[in-house]
Amino acid sequence: MVIARVRGTVVSTHKSPSMEGLRLLLLEKIDPVGLGGKGDFVVAIDSVGANAGEIVFFVTGSSARLTEATKGRPTDATVIAVIDAIEKDGSYTYEKARQE
Amino acid sequence: MMLARVRGTVVASRRADGIGGARYLLVEDCGPDGKGRGEYLVALDMIDAERGQLVMLAQGSSCRWTYRTEDQPMDTLAIGVVDQIDSGGAVLWDEAGRER
Repeated sequence: MVIARVRGTVVSTHKSPSMEGLRLLLLEKIDPVGLGGKGDFVVAIDSVGANAGEIVFFVTGSSARLTEATKGRPTDATVIAVIDAIEKDGSYTYEKARQE
Repeated sequence: MMLARVRGTVVASRRADGIGGARYLLVEDCGPDGKGRGEYLVALDMIDAERGQLVMLAQGSSCRWTYRTEDQPMDTLAIGVVDQIDSGGAVLWDEAGRER
């Protein structure tokens, strides 16, 4: 799973009918240590109610179809978790509660 | 399978997977000598891995071929701790002798 920050939402009206009713997020992959963005963006479906600014991790490929929200949908990237904390070598590089 | 070092853990309470008691690892992509490349992933821990250990990662749809992850939106699993790697008569990695 890949760590990313939610940078915003993506709106699409002209799309495959099988994509209707899904919330699309704009994600930027980040370094989980310094938390800086890598300039690498993806569009992913939201299955957990993630909001702009939150750090999440997402799955790609066929795994992206295996959430309640995305079953049978033609998606290859789905956010499956909102991260509360990242710990590296015994100390936190990120704590959601401290940022809010 | 790709090789990675366990660097820490990732905590997430808002999740779309249905895996009870899931523990997520922060792992760093690395070579067979255990040297990190600065690229990180989140992996579901299947083996009670410890910080510093070299592990094998299964990625993609193969990740769903365990009892815990069947039909779950998972694409990265830590599935084995590496004890030793030999190449051309040299020991590249030795779990017993690594720095702790």
